[in-house]
Amino acid sequence: MFLSKDRLGGLLLLIFCLIYAWQSQNIRLLPFQLNSAFHARTMPEMLAALGIGLSILIMIFPSNKERFTLSGLNWPLGLAFLVLMSIYGFTVRPFGFLLSTSLFLMVGFAMLGERNILKLLLVAVPLVVAFWALMNYGLSVFIEPLPFFLRGDGNA
Amino acid sequence: MLDGVLIGLATAFSVQNIIFVIMGCLVGTFIGMLPGLGPMSAIALMIPIAASLEPSAGIILMAAVYYGAIFGGSTSSILINAPGVASTVATSFDGYPLAKSGKAGKALAIAAYSSFSGGVIAALMLLVAAPYLASVSLSFQSTDYFALMVLGLSAVAAFAGKGQVLKALLMTVLGLMLSTVGTDQTVGVPRFTLGMIDLVDGISFLLLVMATFALSEALMAIIKKVDESKRDAERKAASELGSMAVSKDEVKEMVPVIGRSSVLGFFIGVLPGAGATIASFLAYGTEQRIAGAEKGKLFGKGSVRGLSAPETANNAAATGSFVPLLTLGIPGSGTTAIMLGALIGYGIQPGPRLYIDQPDVFWSVIVSMWLGNIVLLILNLPLIPYIARVLAIPSRFLLPLILFFSLIGVYFVSFNTFDIQLMVLFGLAATVLRLLSFSLAPMILGFILGGMMEENLRRALLINNDSWSFLWERGLTLTILLIAAACLFVPMLTPIFAKMRQKTKGQPSAD
Repeated sequence: MFLSKDRLGGLLLLIFCLIYAWQSQNIRLLPFQLNSAFHARTMPEMLAALGIGLSILIMIFPSNKERFTLSGLNWPLGLAFLVLMSIYGFTVRPFGFLLSTSLFLMVGFAMLGERNILKLLLVAVPLVVAFWALMNYGLSVFIEPLPFFLRGDGNA
Repeated sequence: MLDGVLIGLATAFSVQNIIFVIMGCLVGTFIGMLPGLGPMSAIALMIPIAASLEPSAGIILMAAVYYGAIFGGSTSSILINAPGVASTVATSFDGYPLAKSGKAGKALAIAAYSSFSGGVIAALMLLVAAPYLASVSLSFQSTDYFALMVLGLSAVAAFAGKGQVLKALLMTVLGLMLSTVGTDQTVGVPRFTLGMIDLVDGISFLLLVMATFALSEALMAIIKKVDESKRDAERKAASELGSMAVSKDEVKEMVPVIGRSSVLGFFIGVLPGAGATIASFLAYGTEQRIAGAEKGKLFGKGSVRGLSAPETANNAAATGSFVPLLTLGIPGSGTTAIMLGALIGYGIQPGPRLYIDQPDVFWSVIVSMWLGNIVLLILNLPLIPYIARVLAIPSRFLLPLILFFSLIGVYFVSFNTFDIQLMVLFGLAATVLRLLSFSLAPMILGFILGGMMEENLRRALLINNDSWSFLWERGLTLTILLIAAACLFVPMLTPIFAKMRQKTKGQPSAD
């Protein structure tokens, strides 16, 4: 079985190591470093060589010959959560902590099967408000709670 | 040593620190009980809070979370046969059959008494071993430190399990690679920043830990379809615990097991890379062999010895893993690697100087271990029926909450939304690697040790006039490197030798 779990993992990491090796050559060396035994590229070059060697060895001598398959996994849902987290990252500042986090949690609960809107609101909103109050008043960690259109200072 | 213990007692027994120990144990038990979340995720989730405290309080909090999470992991192993971490897998062998036969309360009590005894005995051994090792390691040079880090990383790979050595090594190298991202420490040259200002300071340790553990654990749970009928059975088991009383005969049976497993667990824990998982399995296997034919048959069917041994050993090993961290500054496990990262975040460099420069941190961690174990026994055990209700939280609510706490934990430290995007990327990569059965703990260890390893190698070369001869000229360095090589090659070559022996046996003699 060519694309066993180990071989696929080895291949992906080999690609990463090759990119790392290529990028290591872009590290700028200062003139006095050119002839020294250890400079900014030494460690990355050693690691790149080790990484490439090990990934090739894993591909040649795989210990796990089980074939990788996505069947039985709900990977579209996993990807949807990654997108949701990314959107949360983009919205937490302009939309404020309270609104963006409440929406993030409610959409997350709904994606995992909760359909009762009242439950969505009752779990997400009090939790987010309590968490914000704990951080703000308990641990003095301030985060903007309100969305840009309610702040009144004109900052987005 | 007595002075140190008094300093530790004074620090650990302040009202504030006692509250942190109690809070840490409770939160740790809570998080550790959730299937899939282990001590590493629990500590990672607490780092943003610990970062706002003074060093000794922060470390005490994280250490308490650590014991709490191990205790919580045992509880979910016993009640629902779902070990949160590998180190409590052996606990489920006999704990779950006991719970199924209606003795869940008894099983939890045995586990708690064993954990407590293992933790207390190991903390006593740590008290003796740590200062001694710290004073010895004061004579270590940068060449020895470099060699020790190579040993730590190779030992992690060597103990990775059958057929996993190459994969663990590659993951260690991957961690080392990630540690080179950012500005070079000596000459200030940017490396692998891809022109992005956000990467100039390198990848945040907290971000990497959260993404690879907490985030990817939750993502794995999301993509693996949950059987709700099984969850209902789990909720029912968690609500019916039965009596927690342990009989005199059972105590008599446990005492020698606890003694043996504590010592075994501590020494296994001290070895870099071995950790609580190997300790628990070894203790289980040893006790099964010692038990004799009749009692040995009970193993796997609800044996008191079979439950007590791994529980004692994993707690003793967890304590033992603090020895290399506190005395050499080298973490022996993924969990202590996270704690090392947190210590560095405080500007504290663990190692032999910690014992001299910051005795309050050094001793209060040791004393807090006793305190933590006492809290677990007298507070958490009676509260288990209530804490176990956390298992009843539906996963549709729990999983988005774990994702939220992971993301916000990182965001609250940097206030940089780029970190959230980077976490998403690392979370995806970590999930793919998990699906491909690549262990992520060696990567974290490599990442934490990467900077120190490069620095020590650079210093060693500078002292030796750019000559690599220090690798074989200094006796101590050479010895450590040879042990590292043995750690790596012996497990790789053993199956080959075994095959050769089998072939030779199969062939007729030449005589």
